[in-house]
Amino acid sequence: MSGPQPRYSAWSLLRARLSGDGYWRPLWGGRPLRDAYDVVVVGAGGHGLATAFHLARDHGVARVAVLEKRLVGYGNVGRNTTIVRSNYLLPENHYFYEDSLRRWETLSRDLNYNVMYSPRGVVDLALSDDDLSGMARRGNAMRLAGIDCELLDLAALERFCPELEPRRTRRFPIVGALVQRRGGTVRHDAVAWGYARAASALGVDIIEDCEVTGLRTAGGVATGVETTRGYVRAERVVFATAGHTGMVGTMLGIPLPIETHLLQAMVSEPIKPLLHTVLVYVFPGHGETYICQSDRGGLVMGGHLDGFPSYTREGRWDRLEEVVEGAIELFPQIGGVRILRQWAGTNDMTMDGSPIIDRLGYDNVFVNAGWCYGGFKAIPASGAACAALVATGTAPDLIRAFRLSRFASGHLLDERGGGPFPVRL
Amino acid sequence: MTRLVCPFCGPRHLREFEFHKTLPAPGAGEFASVYERVDSLELSVEHWQHVGGCRGWLLVRRNPSTGAVLDCRLVGGGGAA
Ligand SMILES: Cc1cc2nc3c(=O)[nH]c(=O)nc-3n(C[C@H](O)[C@H](O)[C@H](O)COP(=O)(O)OP(=O)(O)OC[C@H]3O[C@@H](n4cnc5c(N)ncnc54)[C@H](O)[C@@H]3O)c2cc1C
Ligand SMILES: [Zn+2]
Repeated sequence: MSGPQPRYSAWSLLRARLSGDGYWRPLWGGRPLRDAYDVVVVGAGGHGLATAFHLARDHGVARVAVLEKRLVGYGNVGRNTTIVRSNYLLPENHYFYEDSLRRWETLSRDLNYNVMYSPRGVVDLALSDDDLSGMARRGNAMRLAGIDCELLDLAALERFCPELEPRRTRRFPIVGALVQRRGGTVRHDAVAWGYARAASALGVDIIEDCEVTGLRTAGGVATGVETTRGYVRAERVVFATAGHTGMVGTMLGIPLPIETHLLQAMVSEPIKPLLHTVLVYVFPGHGETYICQSDRGGLVMGGHLDGFPSYTREGRWDRLEEVVEGAIELFPQIGGVRILRQWAGTNDMTMDGSPIIDRLGYDNVFVNAGWCYGGFKAIPASGAACAALVATGTAPDLIRAFRLSRFASGHLLDERGGGPFPVRL
Repeated sequence: MTRLVCPFCGPRHLREFEFHKTLPAPGAGEFASVYERVDSLELSVEHWQHVGGCRGWLLVRRNPSTGAVLDCRLVGGGGAA
């Protein structure tokens, strides 16, 4: 039994230190799976947990369960490179991600759990005048929407990130950058744990090791879900299954505009403070590297998708090599640093690169997915908006553009302008 | 999965090939052919191109859970393997 959660504060942590082990309780769980719920959320990743939290807190839904086939945080919420930002070109995207960024700013207080939001800035590096004018266009779109961002010339970039030595001779010289200072990083595991703890304290049942294997319907409405722990009745069902949403479509017999691709990330051994911000470096015809330094000192790096559908969660080695090459191009002095760990996650890549939060096939079945390789930053906004949709039956304005029917109606949100090919660059 | 066996060029490293898309279900209409995908744990049917070799278009059948390549042929038939 997880019991009542203590309220964390500097004072209570000091008391905990003095009183020994008695203070700490499991953060969630301890309640058995019941046989009926108002809402069953499938998947205890960031989006599922946040949706459950907001259903309980904002809409007073009493009986909510989150069913997770593995462990809380086993999926992409615990595998990402922790970058949060709202520097998108399209209004539908930047208003939504800005709502999320504002929520990140206060999330530690809202959850009473330190998620370590660190507004260290996110810097897109420009390697050509073309890059720079693309960034000016995106930056102007953001500023028109009241979102912070600045276009930096070399001198300004040097002031913002002296450790980069922007003027140093490089194979692809840096000519400028776009920075969003409020962007940065958030400790990803803490997000899963914080939402799970807060939801559990509000009465949400978080059931791990419970896979949903089917949907039972009668007369055109869903009545519950089949699970590896038996049948569970549900008034409403929300699939927040991220990289397994394509499979959910197959399970329900509803083909989705989603392909499942791997994205990998890696972290180096800890080193002394080197980099204070997040750098995104797309080098022409070669690849992409984004890099930041964790509080423990490890360099956290990622790049492009692996490039073909996969559920293996094994990243391809030549991609790792390419990401590391980019990092060394930025910081030659890290050439001798060793990679400590490398891992991959399955991503639900949609055909326009934007998410889907909508009904799925039935009036009482919902999907919150299509987060591609960028859904970590979306968690707070998505949880609040998805809960509103599920509780009231109406999608809030913020997510109206994320409807599933946009592919058929032609209202795509193709931020990249790449067409229906998730891996085409 | 680190290699594909091209029916013309033989076994080559994966980086010579470019994945294009997974194919829609047989008989799918125009909308489905462009936007919808068949997602399966056991079998993924895909178009690839051997961009760094013969530039042939390939029909590849793979198991996306294990990475095993079941079959790699030229689109429309032909080729050796
Ligand atoms: C390497 C990598 C780096 C990334 N970097 C960033 C980044 O820097 N910034 C950013 O914003 N985003 C990033 N992302 C993307 C982001 O992590 C994901 O978009 C987001 O976490 C997905 O939502 P989620 O947290 O709900 O997913 P998940 O944590 O994957 O949750 C889905 C859960 O559903 C469960 N599940 C699936 N099927 C079933 C079933 N049938 N029954 C029960 N449970 C089921 C899974 O086990 C899983 O726990 C990255 C992703 C990866 C892989
Ligand atoms: Zn060939």
